[in-house]
Amino acid sequence: MTRSVRRMTGWIVMTAVGLPFGPLILWSFSERWFFPGLWPQAWGLRAWTYIASTAGMQVMAAIGHSVVVAAVTAAIAVAIGLPAGRALGLYTFKGKDLVSVILTLPIIVPPLCVAMGLHLWFIRLGLAETYAGVIGVHLTFCLPYAIFVLWGVFSNYNPEFEAQARSLGASRLAVITRVMLPMILPGLSVAALFAFLLSWSQYLSTLIIGGGRVTTLPVLLFALMGSGDRPVAAAVSLVFVAPAFVALLFSARYVGTRSLTGVH
Amino acid sequence: MGDLRIEKLAIDYGARAVIQGLDLDVHDGEMVSLLGPSGAGKTTILKAVAGLLEPSGGNILIDGHSVRGVPPEKRNAVMVFQKPLLFPFMNVSQNIGFGLRMRGQAGGETARHVDHILALTRLEGLSRRKVHELSGGQQQRVALARALVLKPSILLLDEPLSNLDATLRQRMRELIQTIQSETRMTMLFVTHDQSEALMLSHRVALLLDGRLRQVGAPRQLFHHPADPEVARFFGGKNFFQGHIQNGMYHSDFGVFAVGPQDGNGHLRTATIRPEDIRIVPRRAESSGGLAGRIVKTNFEGSATRIVVACSAGELVVLTSQDGFLPGQEVEVTVPPDKLRLFPDA
Repeated sequence: MTRSVRRMTGWIVMTAVGLPFGPLILWSFSERWFFPGLWPQAWGLRAWTYIASTAGMQVMAAIGHSVVVAAVTAAIAVAIGLPAGRALGLYTFKGKDLVSVILTLPIIVPPLCVAMGLHLWFIRLGLAETYAGVIGVHLTFCLPYAIFVLWGVFSNYNPEFEAQARSLGASRLAVITRVMLPMILPGLSVAALFAFLLSWSQYLSTLIIGGGRVTTLPVLLFALMGSGDRPVAAAVSLVFVAPAFVALLFSARYVGTRSLTGVH
Repeated sequence: MGDLRIEKLAIDYGARAVIQGLDLDVHDGEMVSLLGPSGAGKTTILKAVAGLLEPSGGNILIDGHSVRGVPPEKRNAVMVFQKPLLFPFMNVSQNIGFGLRMRGQAGGETARHVDHILALTRLEGLSRRKVHELSGGQQQRVALARALVLKPSILLLDEPLSNLDATLRQRMRELIQTIQSETRMTMLFVTHDQSEALMLSHRVALLLDGRLRQVGAPRQLFHHPADPEVARFFGGKNFFQGHIQNGMYHSDFGVFAVGPQDGNGHLRTATIRPEDIRIVPRRAESSGGLAGRIVKTNFEGSATRIVVACSAGELVVLTSQDGFLPGQEVEVTVPPDKLRLFPDA
């Protein structure tokens, strides 16, 4: 691809990604915006002051819940995904195809079905309306993704590095901490990021299993949207998308800036 | 400084026996090559010595102590792999210092050792480089340095030069030779390249089909192969069948005076190296050689390989003379003193 075509594609992708944010930003700073006006008729900081002061506590609490749930989910997903991905990536064993199908199931079955089905079980197990329950249901979606990413990481991993490290005097533990983890760190970060963001954006499953008791940011966002206050909903949406944006920049540092636009 | 003794080593991969009853001694300060074709099990032996693979039988002694059941990091044997396997997240000196850090050596001490080894392996000035910024030869030298810095009792080298181009390989051979003679480090060097083995080592151990066929000085293996298969491995092409009668070897290619030998009348195989056969264009008066016609010539640079069809069969001749053409009538002479007679089969 020539440089100009590459630049064009970059702009198109950036515009496609950025376009929905335009109206969101406009809405969040509008006081009055009626059809058929192209711009808000009145500008103001009402929405932002509302979520910063009146609903401040609520928003902060929701962010806190979301961060805790997403971080714990991501940590568990990576902790389980690492050995699983290593086994799938490095070894051949009977039933490997079956494992791959089972891992895909929570991804292809509609989340509503998964959450509804699990709800019954979680009530019996006393996990409904608890943090643990919400993290559990998030894991059903996040864990397969983490395993798939780490499976790919270990498919390109040469275990001879570990044999070399052993021969140079590294113990089994040192091989894991000083050789394997640094080698797979980029892939591991991507897997953790995936799991975090997937958990961060869960609404339906959080609502069903959490029963409204675990108010993560998406749950609060939907409640505010339901109230019909568009500028406030827009402002909360922007708050909601912020970590995803930060994560994107963070991963771009690892995967290279070109991945931002998807052009290589 | 150290020595290695391998006793009746047996290694299986599942139900398949790769190595059986292998005995090999590598003495203190010695450089021994383990030579054999690909798939002969050479790397397997090195891995067993390094502790990366559990043998199914036999014993391995390093400095006189059995290392069976000893984990690789506790063995004083370090292996250098075919690929450099440099840790990509470390720079050159961090890679070289890896083993020292694993031993818990202090930073200053490590730096001093690393600097010394950088000089020994001609890597001065590259210590801060990232490993992907190095050329293939430099990477392999870092891999070598990373093992050398640990001063192991025995250094195990698994074809570390096979991924390098010819010129670079030659330079690395010389470097390894220099380092070996300077440090007197005991080395076991695995290769499939016979010239590499012959050039580098004090002794060569030839491994064919999972068994050691012959162990000895390079010249001994080259000029006095123990059996036809060893001769074939070193490029032997000409094999005669015949029998001994009163100091004369009667073969299909003629009768040769080979001196007093045991086993009168027994069937014996003999070989002659292609470069030991003399070849001249045929003239009116015979010089006493075998008459033949050239079937094929292959120009190899410093020598030409010629296939000559004689009445008893084909002979391969290697000559530094040029100008022979296919179809040409020639006369070849086999000097009896260069004929290698194998013991009775």
